[in-house]
Amino acid sequence: MGRVIVITSGKGGVGKTTASANIGVALANTGASVCLVDMDIGLRNLDILMGLENRVVYNLVDVVEERCKLRQALVKDKRMPNLNLLPAAQTRDKTAVDADQMKKLCEELKSMFDFVLIDSPAGIESGFQNAIAGAEEAIVITTPEMSAVRDADRIIGLLEARKDEITQYRLVLNRLRPKMVANADMMGVDDVLEILSIKLLGVVPEDEDIIISTNKGEPVSGTDNTRSGLAFRNIARRLRGEEVPFMDLDAKNDTWVTKIVNFFNPVRV
Amino acid sequence: MSKIAIISQPDQGVLIDVGGCASMQEAVSHLSSTLQVSSQFWKGVNVALNLGELELTSTQVAHILALAKGVGVYPYQVFAQQPLTRGALLEHGVVLGDGKPMTLPAMTIKVPENPTDEDWVDESVNIDSIDENSTVTVFYEPSENQLITEEVEQMEQGDQVAQDQARADGPEAQVDFTPNSETEKTEKTEKPSKAAKAKEKVEGPVHAGVMYLRQTLRSGQSVSHTGHLVIIGDVNPGAEVVAEGDITVWGALRGIARAGCSGNNDAEIRALRLQPIQIRIGESFARSPDKNRLHYDNHHGPETARVVDGKIKVFKFNPQF
Repeated sequence: MGRVIVITSGKGGVGKTTASANIGVALANTGASVCLVDMDIGLRNLDILMGLENRVVYNLVDVVEERCKLRQALVKDKRMPNLNLLPAAQTRDKTAVDADQMKKLCEELKSMFDFVLIDSPAGIESGFQNAIAGAEEAIVITTPEMSAVRDADRIIGLLEARKDEITQYRLVLNRLRPKMVANADMMGVDDVLEILSIKLLGVVPEDEDIIISTNKGEPVSGTDNTRSGLAFRNIARRLRGEEVPFMDLDAKNDTWVTKIVNFFNPVRV
Repeated sequence: MSKIAIISQPDQGVLIDVGGCASMQEAVSHLSSTLQVSSQFWKGVNVALNLGELELTSTQVAHILALAKGVGVYPYQVFAQQPLTRGALLEHGVVLGDGKPMTLPAMTIKVPENPTDEDWVDESVNIDSIDENSTVTVFYEPSENQLITEEVEQMEQGDQVAQDQARADGPEAQVDFTPNSETEKTEKTEKPSKAAKAKEKVEGPVHAGVMYLRQTLRSGQSVSHTGHLVIIGDVNPGAEVVAEGDITVWGALRGIARAGCSGNNDAEIRALRLQPIQIRIGESFARSPDKNRLHYDNHHGPETARVVDGKIKVFKFNPQF
């Protein structure tokens, strides 16, 4: 039996879909069989990030409404055979599925894959409720911004109310800029954890490579030499139960040695 | 069912289906954009309306009817599921639709379970034009079928039974087909001379089954039609156009197009700029090259996609053809 993990944030644009794609790829890289489920019905993006848009024939709503078999709707990743995508419908909206249907679907997917990652839509309405309906764990994504942290707090409250179903929820702090944190222009990891008091799963630094990878349809965690990719790979390892030390993103630790290394290293933070 | 679907059949008129909308507001906004942008299309057409599960009050129904009236559309029947809506419709003297509103036939493309890359016809849709003199396309004409009498209908029914039988027997049984369908097939593949064909097109009945839509389709919008479909405007990525006949886009086709959706492999897809994510014709499909598109400026001019030897090929538009 696999694990069903929902990736959610409340606020839009903090990187739910990017995180879903990257964690999915990273988990598949560790050898696990993974299914990514795009629950953002009507505003689907995950297939674009994965570079699988041109392979989508059936979608989640077709499965729920029994127009096709689940296996027909699953799109196999072009790089890794153990990674699959269940795309959202684009010409429908959030009301096309309900919580019971999602639960049933998650049960079925759970029996087929080690990890089922559900990319939740923004907001706290029906789309979000459906996305968490079949989940057992949650990853809350936030950025170090007041508004995003506020929304993440709201989400954590909603997840806590479903303690019986969702047993574990952890935080991923996305798009951190260590230099701004050092200048006290941005909330740091500790500041965010202070408010949310939730277990930290990973910190992902702001990275231009994310934009490039999104446009290419190749998640960064599938390629080495990006810091964000490494951060997502670490998250995947932590999800599998490994103890992985957090990346040193503290700008104060920038010594002359690291500065020289960074100078020659095209990857900047 | 999408948020709005326009389905038309020569004998039944046009059905505007807003049953996929979640709210009255959504339905009204979709309806008004559809009715007004392509108001020319609706003149003298039998229009039916499907409100699906929407729960509407008498005033809301009046609003929708006024909207239709504004562009000269008087729905001859309206389908609705909710008792409240049905009551409101009766109040306004609208004829309630009997049974189920018409729908498009289900997709005939055979999709393997958990398809891998080998299962796809990996034909990049931006291939350069090749010599097309050797290929002949039989145009699909829904009106032609109407002219032929009952015999054909029976034949088709016979086919259907045979096909059902074949399906029940498993995939191997599909190989030996009924003689009926064979004769029909050979008739179809007979290559008419170009002159004869041109004549046929001029003299043939005006396509009752052609739908013109003067509108750009944006992501999430879809239009389906049982005859030929002509879009005057763009089809953006994320939008979907489906037709049993040909699809012509006077603009850029960047979304998904499905021509010959009930299994007609002779259907064609043509566009001023053919840059789709995916096209499907009959039982074949082709997808765009793997890299996500950042720029759409490179294009090859008007192109036509059709099925040649079971594979979708793209040709430069040739006016002689």
